[in-house]
Parts: sequence; C-alpha cells; structure tokens
Amino acid sequence: MAITSDSFRRARPLLGTFVEIEVAGAAEASMAAAVEAAFEAIADVHRLMSFHEADSDVSRLNREAALRPTAVHAWTFRVLKAATDLNRRSNGSFDIALAPVLQRLGPGSRDAIELLDEHAVRFHRPDVAIDLGGIAKGFAVDRALEVLRRFDIPCGIVNAGGDLATFGTNPHTINIRSPRNPGRIICSVEVANQALASSARRFDPFHAEDTMSSAVIDPGSLRPAHAVDGVSVRAPSCMIADALTKLVMICGTDAGELLEHYDAAALVIAPDGNLQITSTWHHAVHLAA
Amino acid sequence: MKWVRYTLPAAAVISAASPAYAVKYLSIEEAQKQAFPQATRFTEVQAGRVWKAEGAGRVAGFFVFDRVVGKHLYIDYAVALSPAGAVQRVEIMEYRESYGGEIRSPSWLAQFVGKTSGSALRINGDIRNISGATLSSTHVTEGVKRILATYGNHLR
Repeated sequence: MAITSDSFRRARPLLGTFVEIEVAGAAEASMAAAVEAAFEAIADVHRLMSFHEADSDVSRLNREAALRPTAVHAWTFRVLKAATDLNRRSNGSFDIALAPVLQRLGPGSRDAIELLDEHAVRFHRPDVAIDLGGIAKGFAVDRALEVLRRFDIPCGIVNAGGDLATFGTNPHTINIRSPRNPGRIICSVEVANQALASSARRFDPFHAEDTMSSAVIDPGSLRPAHAVDGVSVRAPSCMIADALTKLVMICGTDAGELLEHYDAAALVIAPDGNLQITSTWHHAVHLAA
Repeated sequence: MKWVRYTLPAAAVISAASPAYAVKYLSIEEAQKQAFPQATRFTEVQAGRVWKAEGAGRVAGFFVFDRVVGKHLYIDYAVALSPAGAVQRVEIMEYRESYGGEIRSPSWLAQFVGKTSGSALRINGDIRNISGATLSSTHVTEGVKRILATYGNHLR
C-alpha cells in the first residue's frame, strides 16, 4: 500500500521569480513525480517565451517575423492568440508589442501582429517587438496545474511569485500585501479551483513617495501605469488573471466590463489606500483588522 | 460591473525588527538525494559547500550549496551540476523573508479562524500563500552564474 503523506512542497527559481508548487493527498512518490513534471512544464514555457533568451520563440519572432511568417510552438501561439484578443477587447490598452518602449526605441503598435495558419506569426512593421512578460507567467502556472491534474493529484497550488492557481476541494487562503508596505497584509481571499494574480506599483521608501514606478506601461501615455497602487484579479485561468492585472493597473475600475467578459473579479488598492472590490467577489475577501 | 468600496483602518506602526517568515523545503541530505537519486555516496569536496555525487562507480555530478540575500534575508539554494559542469537543476532549500508585525499577532490571526476550511493559514505555523508585486529571483540567478564561473570548469 502506498504511503500517503500530508503535503509535498518545492520551490525553484523560474520565470524571473520563485515558483512554488504544493500538492497533497497522494503517495509521496507520485507527488514527487508530478511536481517534477509540473516544474518541467514551467521551464518549457520559460524557454519558449523568455524575452531575454536568444533561442526562445519570442526572440525568434522579434528577429524574423517582420521579414517572413515565423512558426512557433502551439503554446506560444495560444498565448499570442489570447494577447491579441485582449488587445482588441481593451482597445489597445493591453499590448504585448511595447517592448520597443521598454527599450526606449519608440512606440508599439496595434494590428501589427497577424496570426496565420499552422502556428505561424507575421509582424507587419519592422519596429515591432513583443514581450509576453505580462501574460506568460500565468500561462505557465496553468500548464503546471494541468500536469498535476494529469498525474491524478487531488489538490494543490502553483504560485509563481504571487500569480497562482489552485485546484481541489479545499479553498486556499491567500494573503494580499500592501504595495506601499509589503510587510503589511491588507486582506486575505479564499481561492478554490481558480486563479489569482496580482500586480502593483513599485514603492521605494528611499526616494520621494512620488517616484514610485510600475513595471506596467500604459500604451496610451507610454508611461508607467498609475491608475491604481495595486490589484489582484481572480479568474478561471491564471493566464487571464495575469493579463487582466495589467489592464486594471492601466484602466483602474474602468476595466469592469472586461473583467465581466472574462468571468473575472478584482480587488483594487487605490492610491488613497482604500479598497475597491467587484461586487461578485467582496464576500470572499477578509479585511485585516 | 459594480464595485464595492472599503476604507481600511490606518496602518499599524510596523516595528523595525519585523519577525521573519521562513519556509524550509529541503535539508541538504534531502536535496542531494533528490538531485542525484542514483548516487550512493556524497563526498565533501569543499566543507559545507560542495559535494561529489557518485553511484555505480561513476561520478554522477556535483552538488553545490549556496545562499544569497533575497529581499532582506538569506535564501538557501542548491545547484546540481552534471559531471561536465552544466547546471542540471536549481532547487530552493529555504526561503526567508522579514515580515510585518501583524502576521504573528494572535488577534490579527483570530479573525480568520473558522472562516477557512482546511485552509493554509495556521496560528504558530507559517503564512503560506502570499500575493502582491512579483518577487524577483535575480539574486539566485546571479548566484547560479557565480557558481558556474567558480566551479563549472574546476570540479570534473
């Protein structure tokens, strides 16, 4: 008979952050094998979609897709499909073609990325460069969860530096940090069989309070997003949750319709420190006293 | 979509000495076994830092233990190198972070008691799942590069 242990928990540095996988309810050997395979799926996403690795799909597209249709892995194509849909639905507020801005070369553009048959991609302008940093981490979490389920693990959580997804019967309690003071937990939410992603402005107490920047660039102003201090989004998939955090960082509470379309809910930390929570979710949020 | 607004209470004053949060994933022995399951012997090459893994009369690889500063505190990790000196895996062994005072305060935790069924939050345990701005693993990545530069060519 297999020995069932309480839980199995491992962490590795991947996707530029710490990815932690915790599973429970199965024999230790099968949990170890499942977690190993799940980390491998995340490492595959990392290899395919890293902006910094020269042989990733993203780097190949940035080198070649403006010259000729370039075929990519089915996973990369799925992320590009989701990203271009989000771009259309948000009237350009979600834009993966902003890499030139991040590299200070010039503006990105809409309708410049065409998805063709057989997972081929074509860029219609030579200055387009994409960066999937705003969506690929969530996709990687989804792939890891898929692997764990395939191994018949009954419950678990995959957390990539705060972008996470859970499955199984028990809800997981997730604590949300304050963007201005990461030592402070401002609330906790319960997540069961869903994904939760968070994004926040960066705060540096050693500089003036106003020099706070953000890793999210607003395509409208080409400046760091400043609509809100931080946001957490709950969605059916972590890829969508991850991408929607960027949209709420840019559009603030105006992103309500998009959240509704993707069956998502959000918790926004306003610059005055107060919270705004979508009415579909506020019952699951517990404020810190 | 409708939004509901909440006003948060003023932040409690955070003490300068925040309590630490730590997750221990693996001991050195466990990490060695996981990195080289086929190895039967681990010989210390450099005390407390580098081990040679051997099994079936062959060198399986090298196990390097290291620590880097994360945001404020140390992160212990291990790098498994192939006999040729290539990185096979990087595993976090212990993660530590300084934390705000409220976490360990029983009154703060009490509000969650009974609200979560089988949830991960425990008094006297650790706070497990945290979301916020993404934590950077840059220091570990730099540490792995340093290990490769130091040992990649010299161990073998």
